[in-house]
Amino acid sequence: MDYIYDGTFEGLLTCIHHHYYTEKTTGISVKDEYQPNFLNRSKEVITDEIKADIVYEAIERKISSYDLRRIYKAFLSCDPDKEMKILRYIELGFKKGSAVSMLHGDPIVFDVQSLEKKVNREKERMLQFVRFSVMKNGVLYAKIEPDHDVLELTAHHFCDRYRNDLFIIHDVKRKKALIAFQGEWYITHFEETDIPELSADENEYRRLWKTYFDHIAIKERTNPKCQRNFMPVRYWKNLTEVNIFGESYK
Amino acid sequence: MEVMMGKLKILADSAKYDVSCSSSGVGRRNNGIIGNTHSAGICHSWSADGRCISLLKVLFTNKCAYDCEYCINRRSNDFPRASFEPDELARLTIEFYRRNYIEGLFLSSAVEKSPDYTAERILECLRLLRYKYGFSGYIHAKIIPGVSSEILHQIGLAADRLSVNIEMPSSKSLELFAPQKKPKQIFAPMRQITNSLIERNSLVGPGTMFKGKDINSPENYLGVQQISSETKGFRALSANVRKETFAPAGQTTQMIIGAGGETDQSILTTSENLYHTFKMKRVYYSAYVPVVDSPILPDRTTAPPLAREHRIYQADWLLRFYGFSVSELFNSGDENLDPDLDPKVTWALRNLDKFPMEINKAPYEMLLRIPGIGAISAKRIVRQRKVSSVKFDDLKKMGVVVKRAKYFLTCSGRYYGDRKFEEETIRNSILQMENGLQLSMFDNNWKQLEAGAKQEKLAAAGVI
Repeated sequence: MDYIYDGTFEGLLTCIHHHYYTEKTTGISVKDEYQPNFLNRSKEVITDEIKADIVYEAIERKISSYDLRRIYKAFLSCDPDKEMKILRYIELGFKKGSAVSMLHGDPIVFDVQSLEKKVNREKERMLQFVRFSVMKNGVLYAKIEPDHDVLELTAHHFCDRYRNDLFIIHDVKRKKALIAFQGEWYITHFEETDIPELSADENEYRRLWKTYFDHIAIKERTNPKCQRNFMPVRYWKNLTEVNIFGESYK
Repeated sequence: MEVMMGKLKILADSAKYDVSCSSSGVGRRNNGIIGNTHSAGICHSWSADGRCISLLKVLFTNKCAYDCEYCINRRSNDFPRASFEPDELARLTIEFYRRNYIEGLFLSSAVEKSPDYTAERILECLRLLRYKYGFSGYIHAKIIPGVSSEILHQIGLAADRLSVNIEMPSSKSLELFAPQKKPKQIFAPMRQITNSLIERNSLVGPGTMFKGKDINSPENYLGVQQISSETKGFRALSANVRKETFAPAGQTTQMIIGAGGETDQSILTTSENLYHTFKMKRVYYSAYVPVVDSPILPDRTTAPPLAREHRIYQADWLLRFYGFSVSELFNSGDENLDPDLDPKVTWALRNLDKFPMEINKAPYEMLLRIPGIGAISAKRIVRQRKVSSVKFDDLKKMGVVVKRAKYFLTCSGRYYGDRKFEEETIRNSILQMENGLQLSMFDNNWKQLEAGAKQEKLAAAGVI
C-alpha cells in the first residue's frame, strides 16, 4: 500500500502508525508529488494527532530523544526518498534501541545521518549567509532560498541575537516567513508584496559593506575556487556583498 | 558617509595582512541589547582570496610611529593614512552586525604617538560598544607591545579574545625587521594575559592539547610576581576576581613566514613553546606578501609562500589536535616539511613499524595517527566498536578518507592497500592519487620532476 500524506511531520508519523497497525507500506509520498503506479494500491492518509503522538512518544521512549531530533531534521530535508529512509531508520531503531545511532556503517543509519548532516549544514549556512536589510520602520528583513526547509531551525539563534529588533526572515521559495520580536517567534505565509520599504540609509551601509568586502582581499592570494568552496554560488543571489541591490542574479 | 567610505577603504587595506578572523572560543547568550556569540564561531563571507570574513577587521589608525621593515604601514611608506573616531567605529560595527554581515569587531592599530595613547583610543571604542550600544557580540582586540598593564587589563575586560603579535619566528628576525619592538615588550603582555586567565580559572589551552588536565594551577603561573605555590593561597587570591570575565576566548598570536631565514622546524618549535608556556589558543602564520621595498626582504615580485604556509598549518593542527610533538615531525634530520606530502603521511611513512594498525583494536590516540582518519571518524570508530566490529566498507561512511588510510590499517586482520607494504611504494601511490594522475607503473621517479615537467605530464594526462 502506498501512503499519501499532507507533507507535515504529524502526517508522516500517522503513516508510520498505519504501517504498523493497518497495512505495511510500499511507499510514502506527499500528495502533490505522488505518482500513481500499477503495482501498488494507494491511500490518502488523514493526519491524526493521536496516532502521530503515539509514534512520536514511542520513538522518544524506545529509541531516544537524540534520534527523535535526528529524524525530525531528516524530515526537513528535500530528499525525495526521505520518508522511506526515516521509516527504515525507525524500524531499525525499534529493534536496536538507542544503540542505533552508533551503527555508523549500516546503510540505513548512514542514509538518515547524511540527511541530518545536510540539514544541519544548511542551517549553519543560513546563520552565515542571511543578510538583513534595515527597513523604513526599523524592521530587519532578509530573503533566503535554502534547499532544505531550515527556516525554523534558525529561529533560536536569531531570536537571541536580535532580541530587541523585530525581524523577518523570508523563505522566498516556500512563500513563508519567520517573524520574531523579543524572543517570541512564529512562521506564517508571506508574499513578495508584504515586503516593507527600505530605510533611507540602507543602501549606504550596503555600499560600505561591499567596499569592505572588496578591500579586505589580498590581491596576491586571489583564490576564487577556495572562495566558492566555502561560499557556494547558489547563495550569492541573496548576499549583499556580491549582489548589492538584490537584483535578479544569473 | 563618503568620509567613512574613505576611512574604511584605507583602514581595511591596512588591516588585511592580519591573519586571524576567527570568532570562536566563547559561547554567550545575549546579555546586552544586541548580539551573542557562537562557541564554534561563524564565518559570514569569504573574500576573493578565499579567506573567511567573520569579524570587521580594521585598524583603528594606520598612522604609525614605528618603521618595521615588512609592514605596509611603516612610517617611511608612502601610503594614505586615516584614523577612526571611537564612536563612529562603534556605530559602524553595530550597523554591520544588525545586518548579519559580521560576528563582531577585530580591532588592531598602528602605534600612533605611543602604545598607551593608541591603546586608550581602542579601549574607548570597545567600551562604547559594550556599554553605550549594549553589544554582546564578539570582540578581538590586538594588544600593542609596550602597553601598560592597567590598560591591557581594561581591554581584556571588554574583549573576548586578545592577541599580541610575535611577528617573527625568532628574536633575531625580530631585531632585524622590527627593531622598535622588543621581545620583552611582546612577552610581558602575553604573560599577563595567561596569568589573568589562570586567576579566573578560565585558561583552556590550544585544541585538545591539555584536555582533561587542570592547567589553572599555580605551577602554570608565569613570571616574576610568582605567588605562593600553595594552592590554598592561590585560590584565595583569585576568588574575588573570578566573577568578571577577562578575554574568555583566550589569546592568540601570529608570525610571518618566509621573510626571515627560519626553517619550518624552528618556526614550529617556537609555536610549540608558545602553546606550552602561554597555553595560547592558536598561533597564526602568514605567508609574507612583499608590500614594501626593502633591501633585506624578498623583492616585490616574489610570490607569497602559500604552499609552505599550508604545510605549516597542517603541522600546527597535528600539534594541537592530534597529540604530535615537533620533534616527531622532524625526526629524519630534515629541517623543513616535505612540500609534496602532508606531515601526517610523512610521519607515518617514517614510522612504518607502527603500521598497519588494526582498526578494531587500536586505541583512540593511535587511530588519530592514521593518515586519513580525523577526530570525528576516530570517535565514530570507537563508538561503533562498542556495539559491533568495524568493517572496511564502513570506513567511508564514517568519514575516513579511505584512499589514503587504506595503506596504514587492517580490518579484522586484512590489509587493503593495493601494493607492497613498503615506504617507497606507498609514498608513490599517495603522490599519484593526490595529483589526480594515473602515472604508468614503471614511472616511479616522478617526484624528481621539475615543476615544468610536472605541468607537461598533467597536460598530457588531460588534467589541465
